[in-house]
Amino acid sequence: MSESGHSIPVTEAGDELQAERRPVPVWLILFLFVLLYWGMVWFDERGGWFAPQVYAPYRSLVEVETYQPATAVSAKDRGAPKFEVNCALCHNSDGTGKPGQAPPFVKSEWVLGSPARLIRIPLAGLSGPIKVNGQEYNFGTSMAAMGVGLSDEDLAAVLTYIRQSWGNNASEITPEQVKAVRAEVGARTQPWTTTELEALP
Amino acid sequence: MNYGPLIFLAAFFALSGSWVGFVLTPQMQVGQLQQTNVVVSGVAYPLARPGLAREGLEVYRANGCAYCHSQEIVQTGTMRNVVLNEAGTNQAAAVAALMEVTPGTSEGQAREVLRALPKTILQGVTKEAADAVTKSLSTAGAKAEPWVVPVGPDITRGWGKRRTVAQDFLFDYPVMLGSQRVGPDLANVGERLPDPNWHLRHLYAPRLVERKSSMPPYRFLFEKRRIEKLRSADALDLPAEFASGPEFEIVPTRESRALVAYLLSLRADTPLFEAPFTVAGLAASAPGTNAAPTTRGASTNAANSPPTNTPAK
Amino acid sequence: MTQDPTITTGEAAPVEPKPPASIRDTDLSCRLPLLFLFANAAVWLLIGSVFALIASIKFHSPYFLADTAGLTYGRVRPASLDALVYGFCLQAGVAVAIWLLARLGRRTLLGGLSLVGGSVFWNLGVTVGFLGILAGDSTGYELFEMPGYSAMFLFLGWVLMAIPALVTFHYRVARPLFPSQWFIVAAVFWFPWIFSTASLLLLFYPVRGVAQSVISWWYGQNLTEVCLGMLGLGTVFFLVPTVTRRPLHSRYLALLAFGVLLLVTGWGGIPNSAPVPAWMPALSQVSNLLNLILILSVALSVWRTRWPAKPTTAAGAVTGNAPADSASSRGLPNDGTCLSFGIFATASFLVAGLMRSFEAWLNPNELLHFTWFSTARTELQVYGFFAAAIFGAAYYMLPRITGLAFSWPRLARAHYWVGLVGLVLIVLPFAVGGILQAIQLGNPAVPFMNTVRLSAHFLRVSTIGELLLLAGHVLFAANIAGLLRQLYRARVVPVYEAATEDLFEVAEGKA
Repeated sequence: MSESGHSIPVTEAGDELQAERRPVPVWLILFLFVLLYWGMVWFDERGGWFAPQVYAPYRSLVEVETYQPATAVSAKDRGAPKFEVNCALCHNSDGTGKPGQAPPFVKSEWVLGSPARLIRIPLAGLSGPIKVNGQEYNFGTSMAAMGVGLSDEDLAAVLTYIRQSWGNNASEITPEQVKAVRAEVGARTQPWTTTELEALP
Repeated sequence: MNYGPLIFLAAFFALSGSWVGFVLTPQMQVGQLQQTNVVVSGVAYPLARPGLAREGLEVYRANGCAYCHSQEIVQTGTMRNVVLNEAGTNQAAAVAALMEVTPGTSEGQAREVLRALPKTILQGVTKEAADAVTKSLSTAGAKAEPWVVPVGPDITRGWGKRRTVAQDFLFDYPVMLGSQRVGPDLANVGERLPDPNWHLRHLYAPRLVERKSSMPPYRFLFEKRRIEKLRSADALDLPAEFASGPEFEIVPTRESRALVAYLLSLRADTPLFEAPFTVAGLAASAPGTNAAPTTRGASTNAANSPPTNTPAK
Repeated sequence: MTQDPTITTGEAAPVEPKPPASIRDTDLSCRLPLLFLFANAAVWLLIGSVFALIASIKFHSPYFLADTAGLTYGRVRPASLDALVYGFCLQAGVAVAIWLLARLGRRTLLGGLSLVGGSVFWNLGVTVGFLGILAGDSTGYELFEMPGYSAMFLFLGWVLMAIPALVTFHYRVARPLFPSQWFIVAAVFWFPWIFSTASLLLLFYPVRGVAQSVISWWYGQNLTEVCLGMLGLGTVFFLVPTVTRRPLHSRYLALLAFGVLLLVTGWGGIPNSAPVPAWMPALSQVSNLLNLILILSVALSVWRTRWPAKPTTAAGAVTGNAPADSASSRGLPNDGTCLSFGIFATASFLVAGLMRSFEAWLNPNELLHFTWFSTARTELQVYGFFAAAIFGAAYYMLPRITGLAFSWPRLARAHYWVGLVGLVLIVLPFAVGGILQAIQLGNPAVPFMNTVRLSAHFLRVSTIGELLLLAGHVLFAANIAGLLRQLYRARVVPVYEAATEDLFEVAEGKA
């Protein structure tokens, strides 16, 4: 800041435009600090500390969490809508399948049996024939890799859903299992055959 | 401050600050939101608006509807209630439990409560109290559940079920939250007023629906046609004073139908993590909630609530 | 961005010391370009007020002009607002700013042609945007409704207008800066940044979801509060000391105001109920709280300058408040009118700022900003503060840059009173009606239609206010038209020569 005077003639009469070097009143400075302090306290209380999921009137993530429904949704329930979208067209909403096109899920040893085999099928598809409940299914077009686009959680939920619905009662498939199998399968796009799958545990 | 560059630098850094705060950070937070799964049902939310509704958004924008209508529900607080759903088989035990958890209730009153279930028995309690009450009622064989009920004048008016959050507008462009309430809030109008014909008549002549309405008529979104042989199926059904003669009919154009489709697609009725509430899966007369379950709400019901014989509305 | 590269290279290589231009020379050098800007701004002022009047009638008579799509309320209102903000406020603001930069730097205007060219682009942009809104191409973001195809014109227009401003500033002869210059230079730089951010992120590469709304609030806040605030305060800080012929009360107080405006005010735009994470509205609330410092320091500066505690002894200061410089002998409107506009602008700035803090803090159900209260605040900021400051400056500057007397100098005083009463008749009913509206909206037992009926009474009063404002603007435009007519009759040739002379100077300065 220059120490020279700030006089600039600005009128026709030669008057000078000046800004005096008077200090800012002390009360204004004090008021500024009071407001700053108040503002900080307020922000600390109401700001939710930049958490993206805290909206007023909630104050913190912890508070939002206490309002969440007590019973978490089971994987099976989350799987149902995904099943409807991805699988039910061929396998039917009640899991009975379509003769000559898609084998049933109800009481199917493939669904209830080895998770390692089951998880692989939606990740790369399947080409027939396949024997389910003693009946052989042979389908012209092989099943596509329907589950490759689903997240580990979603695929696990769908598989849990088919393992636990329509009278089926097998263990839950966890996202970790899906993740592990997905890593093993890698980028395979060629559909599995039953012989390949049966070689697995 | 006697140097030009100093002013430039001061302005530069000051503006950078607010730019980072209110352009960059929001873009990184709310601009990067993804479709999510609804807490209770696992249904994807939000869904993109269907094609005609997408067109309707353009009509809404072009005609500046947002200058009179907001799409923001204000929520001033959240209440935790306990709702009694079923008395169970042991009536006497249920009455005793009810009298215990709601001090000051006489036996007669408790019996009265049990007659018209489901009913909110406690309002505005803490989480611990709600859980304790639910537990002690269930030991008596009754079924109660804690409810999360958003409160606020807008919610009491039935304009919405919870506050609006960023997630609700994920796929809209432009997002028109509005800044004025010359007319009512529209955040949840698709659920409040689900009848497309009501909307068409209201757009054509607002005073047909509300005599003192200050909304301008949108007659330019309708076509006045001479009736050739038969009335068109979609012609508006207007009383004589609003119709324009017996030989004419008023037919909605694509624009007005699109606008109505957009209005019907406006619904913020899904519980989310950041805006939780208990979905009224039952025809509950709980205060502060709207009972009508939606299609989305109905599917949540199966997942969340205990089975019940009460028919869903 | 629009910064002329010369400005960052700093003070190292000033042009050869040049004798300061006389006040008369600096003023006359601005004559043609600034008159061009002002004439255009006045036209937009009239168009904007006519449309504001139409919108105001529609508030309570919804069937008025309802059958034309282009004149439906939702198009007329943004069109009127944008015509006023972009067509009048920013354009006239630039005109006053450039005149101040020339006069305070004692430098004749450099780059007049660029200024006129920029104004042509700017007006083209506003015209296209205005018609676009009426045609239904509004973007849907408040205060940023002009469609994408007008944004290019506006941006280019501003750049072309900013270059002469910054070049004139950079080559100023009087080196020390007066506070007005801080505000103006910052505003010239501020606008293209916020405008390009909004254009890119809202129109050309739109961001997702509510991030759009946040950016549009940020833009609106920076436009009406920071940009217009800077241009307006720069004008007021010049006008009041100059007309009262007293020094500005305190340079440090002005610096405090400048700092707060720069650092704090731009954060204030997010309404409390916005569907965004809580930290954003909370931050805006804090900003609206700290903004009190800004309005207090501005009010204190102007108050103490106009009514000093004791007679000052500074050179050239004249005690007594009847300004009697040589201007009045040339048949100009009494400078007292300019001062009145300046004081009025400051008072509006104070009240608008208080209303902003009130809205952010004493707002029990977060419903106040959905009411006419917020409209009242915007009106007060844009009309009561900014436009009044510009009117005051225009009445002071226009006769001086043209060297001509107003055809009807007394209309200036009439304009002041009509505008004052008109504004009070708009702001007061809106503010009171808005508070009542918020109380009723907050009480679910009151049916919504009751609130609609209640506000209709207040809206009727505001239409009278709009009518008075329009009348005031007609008086203003009449005086500008009078100047143009005189200029055309008497001085077209000399003025043309003066304007082209400047262009040669630019060429010489660069060489």
